[in-house]
Amino acid sequence: MYAIISIVSFLILWAIGVHYSEIKIVMPGPWEVIKEFVDSFINPVGRHTMPLHILYSLMRVVPAYLVGSVFGIVLGILMGWFRPVNSIFRPIYELIRPIPPIAWIPISIVWFGIGEGSKWFLIFLAAFVPVTLNSISGAKSVDPLLIKCGQMLGASKKYIFKSIVLPFSVPYIFSGLQVGLAGSWATVVAAEMIRSTEGVGWIIISSMDTNDVTQSLVGIMGIGIVGFLLATIMRKVEDKLCAWTRREV
Amino acid sequence: MRMDKKGSVDTVIECRHISKEFTSKRGTAKVLEDISLQVRKNEFVVLFGPGQCGKTTLMNVLSGLDGATKGTVYSHGQEVTGPGSERGVVFQSMALFPWLTVRGNVAYGPKARGFDKDAYTKKSDYYIDLVGLKGFENAYINQLSGGMKQRVGIARAYCNEPDVLFMDEPFSALDAQTRYLMQEEIMRIWSTEKRTVVFITNNIEEAVYVADRIILLTNCPARIKKEYPIDLPRPRDYTSKEFLLLRDEISKNMDRTL
Amino acid sequence: MAMDERRVKVRVSNLYKQFGDLKVLDNISFDVLEGEFLCVVGPTGCGKTTFLNSVTKLYEPTSGEILVNGEPVDLKKNNISYIFQEQSTMEWYTVEQNIEYGLRIKGIPKAERRIAVDEVLEMVGLKDYRKYYPRELSASMVQRVVIGRAFATKPELLLMDEPYGQLDIELRFKLEDELISLWQRTGTTVIFITHNIEEAVYLSEHILVLTNKPSTIKRKITNNLPRPRNVIDPDFIQLRNEVTELIKWW
Repeated sequence: MYAIISIVSFLILWAIGVHYSEIKIVMPGPWEVIKEFVDSFINPVGRHTMPLHILYSLMRVVPAYLVGSVFGIVLGILMGWFRPVNSIFRPIYELIRPIPPIAWIPISIVWFGIGEGSKWFLIFLAAFVPVTLNSISGAKSVDPLLIKCGQMLGASKKYIFKSIVLPFSVPYIFSGLQVGLAGSWATVVAAEMIRSTEGVGWIIISSMDTNDVTQSLVGIMGIGIVGFLLATIMRKVEDKLCAWTRREV
Repeated sequence: MRMDKKGSVDTVIECRHISKEFTSKRGTAKVLEDISLQVRKNEFVVLFGPGQCGKTTLMNVLSGLDGATKGTVYSHGQEVTGPGSERGVVFQSMALFPWLTVRGNVAYGPKARGFDKDAYTKKSDYYIDLVGLKGFENAYINQLSGGMKQRVGIARAYCNEPDVLFMDEPFSALDAQTRYLMQEEIMRIWSTEKRTVVFITNNIEEAVYVADRIILLTNCPARIKKEYPIDLPRPRDYTSKEFLLLRDEISKNMDRTL
Repeated sequence: MAMDERRVKVRVSNLYKQFGDLKVLDNISFDVLEGEFLCVVGPTGCGKTTFLNSVTKLYEPTSGEILVNGEPVDLKKNNISYIFQEQSTMEWYTVEQNIEYGLRIKGIPKAERRIAVDEVLEMVGLKDYRKYYPRELSASMVQRVVIGRAFATKPELLLMDEPYGQLDIELRFKLEDELISLWQRTGTTVIFITHNIEEAVYLSEHILVLTNKPSTIKRKITNNLPRPRNVIDPDFIQLRNEVTELIKWW
């Protein structure tokens, strides 16, 4: 209920702001944007309609996100649990961590060309960094008493890793996956700056050529809505898998 | 009792001249000092003493969860060098695996040690029933009350059928009345499935209620102050004259908590 | 002092307390006589603490009347002291500053405070330790500071909520004896909540046994055992077992 009120209030403020100020010359009101957004589902923007643009962007994001996450989970857990692994990889990881995906664009083009590969690389990074961080956190935070329990009950080191360290880390991994997903999807604009002709990011980029602010906002709306849906799906999955972390009264 | 190197045939756990020190930035703290004791098969021994006096440390050393600075621990004549499935532990904080169901927790030991599914399911069901949790096999830990959680802890340790069961203040986190209930329950469970038990508590009534023998420890660094055999028939009566006299005698003799 | 000649200090009539949908107290009515030592026992979670808080209007009762000295209870008017579970002292004050604390809050002038504190220090046997800090004292001495602080304001009603919960037996017996002695000296009316039946039988003149939630009074038991009481005495044990049977759910 509160969510609806706050969104509607925001739209009203936007409309009022545009209507009563100079900015209406360059910036459209909410109604215009919504109209054109809905319109984009029927009439193409550029070569495709909105749903197709969204699909193209998803096709870039989803595989790269999955690969980045898998790498992140594996490396993160190993780094968090095995000290030698941590010693080897930590320095490199800490150097890569603060660099935003956008900064990689030129290098990415040099390494992977201007096709899909370079876009996948950027999104891979956007997922890989937070997933690794949280996975390290998870493996590091395992309650030592639980490990002792495993030993006391007769489990081998390998079994303890499989049956205690991994399950314990799952909620942490999921935090990382959430952040990674948000980051990946947000990076799609940067990725599509590398020579593309479709995608929600492209919608925004092409609008810069034609100074079409409305189109830009339509692209933003697209990104926002899909991002929200993705996050919601992720949360539902987490709720299912991590039910045991909730405290029941 | 004359003691040869391997102790008497009946001795399940034994330690000789155990000392334990902890070294930290602030210096060295001596927690245990020259402790020697033997526990016989199926005996219910209670380690009793003032708070923070080293009882848990002693248990950790005896069970192999921690090593001694000096002295040795023997289990059936063999030296104890680490934790193992022959020495089960029930912790005060329970330390259950929250991502597993009750059955998952209880069956963990046998499963980890390679028993096949039929075997460990049968075992875990038996012990879940023994501790009074029949029907809760598929519940998750966060759905259980404190008393029930501790029953899972007991079942989990029992399911591995260890030679010795160590219990570290298992009921201290429970409210007073649930505690009475659990004292009766542990006696029922133990008399059904006889096992050697080393039980830690700082509650004198609990100690006198459950013990065959109470080993009274001093304050830090802990030494054995005195041993009290408890010969009262079970189930014991908290208000019987003998019980109250024992309670009185032992608590008078206990060092004051620092 | 014949019990029936004492006047009624506290009268609780038809006390109900509900939190949302949860009914905790259900139609509780009882009297507490002036200078009486009343213990309240009941199964775990039956609402003993809610009960105490409602009687003193720390929680507003859902309905019902609570009279002290014939008038509705008023924390500002009535002189009520309260000791919570295993209450501790204020570490940054000395023993005498701790004891003085309640008096200062009540606005008692300095000279009177001095006299009261001296009296209390003498009563709890900590005269030689007045300038010490709690961390320098033993556990039993710290408890005596807590009690001293409560008695310093010469309360007409003293409420104690499981103050000796997890302390070891020797210490508890000692503190209980000191509490009785202070009570006998000052004539304060005491309502004492405990889960420990032996403690209730040791201290009380009456025992109020509560049921499970929603709590009502199961029984009010009169405790005529002569003081000083002996926990090994057969009559003591019989009373203890009788009360235990009433609340035993395990």
